[in-house]
Amino acid sequence: MKAAKFKYVAPRSLEEALGHLGSDPDAKVLSGGQSLMPLLAMRLAAPSVLVDLQHVPGLNAIEDIDNAVRIGARVTHRAVEHSELVARRVPILSLAARHIAHPQIRSRGTFGGSTAHADPSGEWPTVLLAVGATMHLQGAAGRRDVHADDFFVGPFTSSMEPAEILTQVSVPATWDRWSFQEAAVKAGDYGLALVAAVASVENDTITDARVSVGAAVGSVTRLREVEQLLIGAAPDLNTAERAARVATDSVKPISDIHGSSDYRRNLVGSLVKRAIVELKNGA
Amino acid sequence: MKTVEKHQHMDTPEIAARSVGARVLRSEDPRLLSGRGQFIADIELPGQLHVAFVRSPVAHARITHIDLSAVRDAEGVHLAWSGADAAQFCEGLVGEFAVEGCNPTTMPLLATDEVLYVGEPIAVVVAETRYAAEDACELLDWDFEELPAVVNADAAAAGVGVANPQLPDNFGLRGGASFGDVAGAFEQAHQIVEGRFYTCRVSAAPMETRGVIADYEWASKSLRVWSNTQMPHFLRYMLTAYLGFPEQNVEVITPDTGGGFGQKAHVYPEEMLLPLLAREVDRPVKWIEDRRENLMAGAHAHEQYVDIAYALDATGKITAVRTHALGDGGAYHAPPWSMAVEPWCAVVMTPTGLYDAPAAEYTYAAVATNKTPVGAYRGVGYMAGTFARECLADEAARATGMSPFEFRRHNVVPEFPWTNPQGIVYDEGSWRESIDVLESMVDYPAFLQRQAELRAQGRYIGLGLSFFVESSGESTAGSQEHGLGDVYHDTATVRLSPNGTAHVTIGLSAQGQGLATTMAQMAADTLGVRVEDVIVETARSTSHAYGSGTIGSRGAVIAGGAVSRAAGVVREKIRAVAANLLEAAVDDVDLVDGNASVKGAPDTSISIAEVATAIYFDMSSWPEDFDPVLEATQAYDTARAMFSNGAHAMVVELDPETGFVRFEKVFSVEDCGTVINPNIVEGQIRGGVVQGIGASVFEELAYDESGQLLTTTFLDYGIPTMDVSPPFEIHHIETPSKHSASGVKGMGESGLIAAPAAVLNAVNDALTPFGVVLRELPLSPEKIRAAMSGATESAAPQVVAP
Repeated sequence: MKAAKFKYVAPRSLEEALGHLGSDPDAKVLSGGQSLMPLLAMRLAAPSVLVDLQHVPGLNAIEDIDNAVRIGARVTHRAVEHSELVARRVPILSLAARHIAHPQIRSRGTFGGSTAHADPSGEWPTVLLAVGATMHLQGAAGRRDVHADDFFVGPFTSSMEPAEILTQVSVPATWDRWSFQEAAVKAGDYGLALVAAVASVENDTITDARVSVGAAVGSVTRLREVEQLLIGAAPDLNTAERAARVATDSVKPISDIHGSSDYRRNLVGSLVKRAIVELKNGA
Repeated sequence: MKTVEKHQHMDTPEIAARSVGARVLRSEDPRLLSGRGQFIADIELPGQLHVAFVRSPVAHARITHIDLSAVRDAEGVHLAWSGADAAQFCEGLVGEFAVEGCNPTTMPLLATDEVLYVGEPIAVVVAETRYAAEDACELLDWDFEELPAVVNADAAAAGVGVANPQLPDNFGLRGGASFGDVAGAFEQAHQIVEGRFYTCRVSAAPMETRGVIADYEWASKSLRVWSNTQMPHFLRYMLTAYLGFPEQNVEVITPDTGGGFGQKAHVYPEEMLLPLLAREVDRPVKWIEDRRENLMAGAHAHEQYVDIAYALDATGKITAVRTHALGDGGAYHAPPWSMAVEPWCAVVMTPTGLYDAPAAEYTYAAVATNKTPVGAYRGVGYMAGTFARECLADEAARATGMSPFEFRRHNVVPEFPWTNPQGIVYDEGSWRESIDVLESMVDYPAFLQRQAELRAQGRYIGLGLSFFVESSGESTAGSQEHGLGDVYHDTATVRLSPNGTAHVTIGLSAQGQGLATTMAQMAADTLGVRVEDVIVETARSTSHAYGSGTIGSRGAVIAGGAVSRAAGVVREKIRAVAANLLEAAVDDVDLVDGNASVKGAPDTSISIAEVATAIYFDMSSWPEDFDPVLEATQAYDTARAMFSNGAHAMVVELDPETGFVRFEKVFSVEDCGTVINPNIVEGQIRGGVVQGIGASVFEELAYDESGQLLTTTFLDYGIPTMDVSPPFEIHHIETPSKHSASGVKGMGESGLIAAPAAVLNAVNDALTPFGVVLRELPLSPEKIRAAMSGATESAAPQVVAP
C-alpha cells in the first residue's frame, strides 16, 4: 500500500496555492491528510501534485464574529473539540468532535479538510448542514460564500470548483438548542448513522429547526419532513416520537455489510428521537 | 488412546518456589513499551531490495495470458516472476493432515493455471523500493477467464461447483468415529436438545503483519531468513525440504514479533519465495505485508458449522453427545495444519468438555471454497467446539428447567482421573469447583433480581456462562492422546557466570507473551538465585536452542520444563562445590534466595555467587573428578497430555434501538496448575477474552456471492478496542500437573476458546423475553435489533421428543 508517484509543494501563500491548483487539473489540496493519504496509499486516488496548506497563513483561527463562530480550514478537530469559544457559542461542534475517529487522528485531521472531503459519514458535513453553515471559498477569481444547503451535493462531492480552496467556515451561533447523535459500534468507528438537530425555541414552541442525517445515507441530507413537523411543536417526548416515525418513513438509507437499508432506517428514527429528546432537555 | 513411553527428558527437578507465583514485572516491557523493540520492518540490510506481490482480484479464474515484460522493463525493477518461474524451483507446498479421510492439496508459490481465491499471489516483483515494486505490479499484462466461485460450505459439500481442481468433490477431509452406544442413548432419550452453531470467518489480525527478509551469500552458500514466524525451526526445515538449501547453512532469525496467535504458525508461499529471489538477484530482499494483504492472504480462521445434539435422560443427565462439524477450508490446505484444524479439532477434542457423557459420536468434514485458506488461530477447533457445546448446555438448562449452573453441576465429571468415551484421559482438574466458584463470583440470585428489575424498565441484560477444558502444553503425548503422531520437544541452555548470574536461551520465539520473564522465574527458582539475576533470550535464531514452535499453549510448560531441567544440571554443579566448601553432604545443601546453605544449619551458608566464582577461578574448591562446565542444554517434553480448565461468565446489555451489545463485566476462573506469574496469566485471559468478544460481535471477513472479499481494511473489519473491553474479575484455582516442571499447565488459548460461548449465551439470556435464540456469529447490530423487534423468526430451543 504505497502511493503512486506524486509531486509535493508547500506554498507560503493562498495566491501561490491557488496558482498550483489553477495550473494543474490533477492537483489536490492536502490539509491534515487523514482521508487523503489512505486514498493515495490504496491507489484509489493518484493526484499529480499535492498542494500542502500547512504554511499558508490565515487558516488557523477560531474567531467570534457577530452571530457566528468562524473556523479556519486548517484548525484541527482536536482544536475544535477543546475550544472554549466553540463550547460556549456552538456547542454542537464540541459534541460532534468527540465522535471523530481517534485522538491521534483528531490531532492531525482538519476541520476544512473533512468539510471539503464531503464524506457522507463525516461528522462535520452532517453538523454543518444542520446548523446551516456558510463555507468561504477562495478561487483565482476571488472569494465566494456557499451555504451548506448548496455545498454538499453528493457522496464525496461538494460544489467547490477544482481550483478553489475552502478557507473558513462560519457556523451560526443563533440556535437555542442543539443535539448530535451518532450510532457507532465502537468509539472511533465510522457511524452507522449520524443525526444533527438544531432548533430555535420560544415559549416552549419550536419556531425554527434543521435536522440532518449522515452515514446512513448516500450523501448528507436534511430531513425536511421532520423539520416541518417540529416547527410549531413543543420540544417534548411526544414530538420526538412523531419525529422519529416521520424520519423512519422519509429517510432513504443505503445498504452495506454493516447494515441493511431497513436497519439503518429504524436506526435513524431512533437517533432522531434521541436528538429531539435532547433538544428538549438541552437549553 | 496410545500413551508415550517415558523418557529421561520428561523428568524435571523439584524445587522450592520463590519467584514462581509472584507478580514479577515483565522484563520485556521497558523495551517494548517505549518503542525500543526491533521488529522485522525495522531491519534494514545494506543493499536490500523490496518485494511486492500481484494478487488475484477475483475468486476463481483460469489464467489465459500472462506477460511480465512491461513489469520487468519498469524503472527500478530487478526481477519479476510469474507462477511458471517459481514452479521451476518448487511445485508448491503440500498441505495434509495425518488423519482418516484427508485429501492433500498442493499450494503453488504463485498461481499458475487457475487462481482460487481473492488475494492469491500470481506474480512477484523485486525492485529498488517498495514504491517502485508496487508501481511495476500495476503494469502486469494478464488475462483471465472467470470461473464459477464456490463460496458456501453447504454448497461445496453438496458438490455444487468445484473450488479447487485438486479436490474434485470439494472435500479436503471427511471422517468420523463412534464410541459407546450412541444410537441406543438417543433412542432411549427422555429428550434431545440440538442445534447448529456457526462461527464466522475471522482473522487473527495480529498488530504486526507478516514479514520476511532473505539474504543469500553465494560464497559460503549461507542463507539467512528473517521471519516473524512462530515456528523458526520448522521453517528452517521446510526451506531445506522444499528448496534444497543445505540445513546447516540456513539460519532463521525471529526478531521481536507483534502477535502471532497461530496466523504466524504456518509456512507461507512468501516465506519460500523470498530466499529464492534473494539467491537470484544476489541482494537481500525484504517483504513487509500490508494490512490489506494480511486480511486477504494471511490465514483466515474459524469458519465452520457445528451440529451438536445431547441425549438427556429424565433427570437431565447427558447420556450421549453427537457432533458434526463442517469447515469452510478455503482454497487449499494451509500447511502444516490443513483444513483439519477447525472441524477435526472441534469434534475430536471438545464435545464432552467437563461433562460426564458416557457415549460420543462425531463426524467431521472440511470443504474447499474459493476463499483464503483457513489456518490456525488461538485455540484451533476448540473455540467452535466449545462454542457449540456450551451454548447447547445453556439450551439444555432451559429445556430441563435448571439454572445454567445447576445443569452443569448435574452433569460435571465427578472424579479424576476420568477417561472420556474416546479414551482421552484427564488426570486432574477443578471442573466441579470452577462451577461453584463462578456462581458465587457472579452472585447469581442478585443478578437474577437485577435482571428482572431492569426488564421492567425496558432494559435487557443477560448472563452467559462458558466452561472450558483446554489441551495445553502441546506435546508428543498430547498429540498421541488425540490420535495423531506429531513429535515435539524443546531444548534450553542455561549458563551460570562467575558472578552467579544466569543466562538462559530457549527454543521458542516470543510474540509478546512475556516468555523472557516467566522463563527467568523458572530458572531463578531452580538455580536458587534472584529473578533479576537471570537474563533470558527467547529464540531469536535457529542457531540457539531447538524448539517445536510457540503454539498450542506450550510455551510455559515445554520451555519451562527445558529451562528447569537445564538449570537443574547447573544446580547440581553448584551443590557439589558448595558441599565441598561447606564440608557438608551434597544432599544436605539447599539453594535458595541466592545462598547455598546446609539443611538444619542455616548459619552454615555461602552465596551462590561465591560458589560460581570459585568454580571458575579456584580449583581447590572443586570436589574430585569435577567438570567445571557451568552450562547445560537439556530437552523437555511432557510425559502425558495435560489439560487446563476454567470458565467465564459475561454480563451484557442489549440496546433494543441500535442492536449494540455492551459488555458490562467478565468473571473468569482459570486453573492452569501452578501459576508462574499471575500478571501474565491474567493478561492472557484478558487478551483472549477480548479477541473472543471480537470474534463474536465485531469481526467477520465478509465475502459477496462472487467470492469478493469485502473487508480488506480495519474500516470494514472491526477488531475490538479498549472502549468495548469490559472490566474483569479473575479467580485462580491451582491444580498442579503431576508431570510438568513446578506443576505448570498451559493457558494461552482459553480466553478465545471460551469467550464466544459466554457472549452468545449472555445475548440469548438477554433475549429471553423476546422468545428468540441466536446460534450464528457474528452478533451484528442488525441481528440483535431484529431479534428484539420481533423480526427474527421464532427459534425457540429445539427440543425434540424422540
